[in-house]
Amino acid sequence: MISDYFTLNTSAEIICFVIAFFCLINDKSPAWKSQILFLLITCITELIGIYIKKLYLADRVHVHLNIWVYNIFILFQIGFTFFLFSHLLNKHINSKPIILAGLALLLVMYIVEVFLHGFFEKHNLTTTTMSVLFVLLSLFYFYQLNKDAHYINLVFSPAFWWVSGVLFFYFGRTACNIFYYKLSLVVITPKHYLTYYIYNALNILLYACWSYAFICRKWLTTTSKNLY
Amino acid sequence: MADYDIKELVLITTLIFLIAPAFIISYIFVYNRRKKKHIEEKAQMRLKFGAEIAKAQLEVQEQTMQTIGADLHDNIGQLLSLTSLTLNSIELDKPAKAQQKINASIDLVLRSIKEMRLLGKLLQGDQLVAMGLPEAIRQEISWMEKSGKYQVDYTQANDIPLIKNADKDLIIFRILQEVLNNIIKHAFASQISITLEYIDQKLKLQIADNGVGFTASNVSVEQSGMGLSNIQKRAGIIGGEANIVSNPGAGTNVTVFIPYP
Repeated sequence: MISDYFTLNTSAEIICFVIAFFCLINDKSPAWKSQILFLLITCITELIGIYIKKLYLADRVHVHLNIWVYNIFILFQIGFTFFLFSHLLNKHINSKPIILAGLALLLVMYIVEVFLHGFFEKHNLTTTTMSVLFVLLSLFYFYQLNKDAHYINLVFSPAFWWVSGVLFFYFGRTACNIFYYKLSLVVITPKHYLTYYIYNALNILLYACWSYAFICRKWLTTTSKNLY
Repeated sequence: MADYDIKELVLITTLIFLIAPAFIISYIFVYNRRKKKHIEEKAQMRLKFGAEIAKAQLEVQEQTMQTIGADLHDNIGQLLSLTSLTLNSIELDKPAKAQQKINASIDLVLRSIKEMRLLGKLLQGDQLVAMGLPEAIRQEISWMEKSGKYQVDYTQANDIPLIKNADKDLIIFRILQEVLNNIIKHAFASQISITLEYIDQKLKLQIADNGVGFTASNVSVEQSGMGLSNIQKRAGIIGGEANIVSNPGAGTNVTVFIPYP
């Protein structure tokens, strides 16, 4: 059924993608513009994930998981998020060493996990390390923002809202990743666990922040190019 | 620990993790608002400072004009009147007396020329400062030395900032002129020592003479108003301070500290 593909998560992602498309299509910054592609990949991944899950569920003899789709998606997540972080931090410092070191660390972890348990198991170590790194980068960005003598109106700052979305999402996800086995035991409704609600809330928060950031970006690029 | 307790702990920790970003973002907002306030205050202070500088410059200009006016009226005017009177009283049939009066007139005219030169220097200040404070000081000193009455030692440190502050330069230069004028008029000094240094982001200008000196209590209000308090007031306007140390017979030492640039 087509309605199976429109969950709370996918709806939020698709809406965010549409907003990104309209707001950033004419953006001069490749880093910001790349977010359209990233969100498109996110939406496609989610839809393929649901499709494959349905496919696997139909096969009752062989038990499979659709985790491998998300394992591939991690690579895009790392690449695109680091790309925008690099662009935002470059306004304050030379971000190359930090970004390259982070990328190298995650890549090594990813390869190690592929060797350890292949593509068909969740890459927990890489995901958790990635979340922690994104949180640290967000905090570092805020630190640089505070240190900067120039004042910018944060209410309309796309960079600030994008980083805030990242911080909310990955801070929460770090906790969920760490306590996953305990949290997944807490049943809220007969159909869903607590983690389901937390992930949904985090997703909505992330895409709401990002959508607002893209709207600010569109609004600001026509009035001032200085507020990144 | 019971499984129930662990579950509770996990839930609380997760909740903290979920709420913490909200606190961090609120903090960033509060900090940013403070930053805005701070920047506004700084801009206001800069504006106020600019207005004070402009006011100080006007005051300095006004004082310069007053000095010129007073000098023209009381000094040069008197000298020329006296010259005119002397020349008028010459009787050509008494050559010996006439020669005496002509000599006196020449002396008076020379004194007038000297006074005029002094006034000229006062008016020239702005142009001199445009070349930079150290250069302006050097010109002032060379003019003092030309009179042949003073031996001037000038020491300038090598670390004087290259970035100039024209507003402050003019006021510092006027302070120097004020001090030198005081030396010329009242000190009866033969040696003047001037030092320009840069210490802790402050310009230090020190002018010492071996003149007669004075005791602060003996300086009349009028004199003080024209000289010493002006020096302190001018230094204060640009955020600095002036210390004047003097004792009868032991010369005078004026030290001015100005935040620079």
